[in-house]
Amino acid sequence: MDVDIPEIPSRYDAYRQGLREFIVGNLPELAFKQRSGLRAPEDPEDVVKLRRWVRGLHDAGYGANRDDPFEARISIEELERTRIPYVLGNPLVAGAIVRFGTEQQRAAYLPAIASGEHIWTQLFSEPDAGSDLTSLRTRAVLDGGHYVVSGQKVWSTWAQFSDFGYLLARIGSGAGRDGITAFILDMKSEGVTTRPLREITGTTDFNEVFLDSVRIPVENMIGEPGAGWSVAQASLAHERGTLPGDKEQDPAGALVRAARHRRRGGRAAIEDGAVRQQIGRVAARSLMERYLGYRVQTRAANNQTAAWDAPLVKIWFSELNLEVADYALRLLGGRGALVEDEPLAHEDGRWQDTFLYARSWTIAGGSNEILRNVIGERALDLPREPRGDR
Amino acid sequence: MDFAYNDDQELLRGVTRRFLEERHPMALTRTRLEAESTFDRGVWRDGAELGWTALVVPEQYGGGSVTDQPVVDLAAVAEEAGRALFPGPLLSTNVVADAVAAYGDEQQRQQFLGAIARGDCVATWCTTADGSAEADAIGVEAVPAPSGLKLDGVARFAHDAHEADLLLVSCQAPSGPTLVLMPLPAPGVSFRVLGGLDLTRRLCEVSFESVEAAGHQILGAVGAAGPAIDRAYRLATVLQSAEAVGAAERVFEITVQYAKDRRQFGRAIGSFQAIKHRLADLLIELEGARAASWYAALAVADDRFDRDEAVAVAGAAVRDAFAFIAGESVQIHGGIGFTWEHDAHLFMRRAKVEQLLFGDPDWHRERLCRLAEAKAPV
Repeated sequence: MDVDIPEIPSRYDAYRQGLREFIVGNLPELAFKQRSGLRAPEDPEDVVKLRRWVRGLHDAGYGANRDDPFEARISIEELERTRIPYVLGNPLVAGAIVRFGTEQQRAAYLPAIASGEHIWTQLFSEPDAGSDLTSLRTRAVLDGGHYVVSGQKVWSTWAQFSDFGYLLARIGSGAGRDGITAFILDMKSEGVTTRPLREITGTTDFNEVFLDSVRIPVENMIGEPGAGWSVAQASLAHERGTLPGDKEQDPAGALVRAARHRRRGGRAAIEDGAVRQQIGRVAARSLMERYLGYRVQTRAANNQTAAWDAPLVKIWFSELNLEVADYALRLLGGRGALVEDEPLAHEDGRWQDTFLYARSWTIAGGSNEILRNVIGERALDLPREPRGDR
Repeated sequence: MDFAYNDDQELLRGVTRRFLEERHPMALTRTRLEAESTFDRGVWRDGAELGWTALVVPEQYGGGSVTDQPVVDLAAVAEEAGRALFPGPLLSTNVVADAVAAYGDEQQRQQFLGAIARGDCVATWCTTADGSAEADAIGVEAVPAPSGLKLDGVARFAHDAHEADLLLVSCQAPSGPTLVLMPLPAPGVSFRVLGGLDLTRRLCEVSFESVEAAGHQILGAVGAAGPAIDRAYRLATVLQSAEAVGAAERVFEITVQYAKDRRQFGRAIGSFQAIKHRLADLLIELEGARAASWYAALAVADDRFDRDEAVAVAGAAVRDAFAFIAGESVQIHGGIGFTWEHDAHLFMRRAKVEQLLFGDPDWHRERLCRLAEAKAPV
């Protein structure tokens, strides 16, 4: 038994040094402030700068998707530290194209995804098909060499800046998984309207996308007609297994710092036994998250992934993340009420932003309630609850 | 990255599971719920042949492990012992063996290790007067005497002490904490089985009245046993966690099966989200506990840099998870879970008692807070 990750050999020092120099020379200056979560910029100028930055990283040989595993690790380590995005939009479609795409699709899209030239968004959820994705109603009707697609999508991250969309629409008149088909949608197509949503954070990461008789060439289908559910499951399983890189690395330490600043009953809150117990609990659960990650990685490497691995890790992370942010606000006392740009706010209001954004993680990527169904039904083989609509 | 038992450890685990299913089934445990003793020396000796008491004993004294991480090997065995709610002092005997192997002199090792490994010597550890891991809760005083030391006082919650052949006694000497090896029977040492919540295991009060301990019975130096006691608590927490994971896994399996079989309102109760989601929560806690337990075993086996933190995580979380799972299992079973005949309460009783021994979860959370403070510069 071990959890050791091989040390990066010293022959990679030059690669790391080169990347550091590249970062110093090319790091974009953005109007947009990096907050918690997977944020989209608010200023289109920032997107232009970010495209140039990501493209530059790729062209100089420093992108985060290097084939060499040591180079990839160094890139992610160094780029995470910049707090500037280095992956734009939602590139999960890449996995679907690798596994289900045609030769032409692979050649046309994969290099441009890797280089950051194309920004993608995901067009899955609908107003009446969120957790119950199989209820989606967007229709695709064959008309010669095209499918004509109409419907409404929502929660599409980065859609306002995206070049392409990874779309699920239904062919035929079936229900449930029947007829669901995956497409590549050129976001500049006639009939595509994108309307940004403003979220509880006050920022805009998600969009509504309206599709009005949009014509998609037949060759833009991913996989077979009606195979969209399997295509999407493969990508979603991947999404649930990958957690955000921006999460608090040492939440117990962050709470210790907050508790030292707060006074309670004539002494620092860190001397209060109830506070100390909560910090101990957070320390335990954040370390267990790491240990669970070791198990999941080991199983994945041995092709023994269990049906509960991805949903369990997502539930664990998102609920702990919420608990930590909620507790941090309580520890901050009156300052817990203050947000960024307020001079009196603690650490520029980052905990307040994390607290608001935390609800994104407990809902998105399969709400935690749906994931508990997944654990119950796929991992524990419990019977399904009867549906009310069929 | 290989965070799993290896093939040899899985083999040991499988052999242990089959052995316990055959030789110590729940039906046998149930015949002894109200008996003075739950311990079966025949099963113990045969278990020793499978390696239960030899893994932390060096080869030259008749021991041997299956990998170069004996503590992980032993954790695999302890998971199975927990799964069967096995009553015997597997944890205590191994803690004593490890202490003798690490701190004993040549004569002590010769005298005890081979006998422990063979299953001829059942050993247990007398910790404190209140079952806690507090240094000032040691209830046995050791004062210098012509022969060595004279012991007076009491230790409680010692696993199966009344069945044991050897005690390891934590004592407070004027110069500091001291460990004494006490082969039994010994004049002045008496036992009382405590009326306990856990019906599957006997915990004892051990009284010492002017008990003579010769110099050769002292493990290490008088007054200098602090590190040895810390080591013993680390191993105890690892094994206690492993037992808790095994027991939690078993009671969870029983409960999932019940949720599939039991029908109400024309449906299996496991189809209701009220039950399904609770079972998902139990699995989440079980898997988190398993990861914590394994990591603690690994960190102790390899003496990793984060060893103390890993042990504290296991101590803080694993038994709480077991108690949560066992308690909810009774709840999900409904009325049948409240009956004496159903096994669910045996798991709930074991869980509750384990939460109280060798440092309770609150004590470990306090340690984690201290470690977090030490890592966060002022």
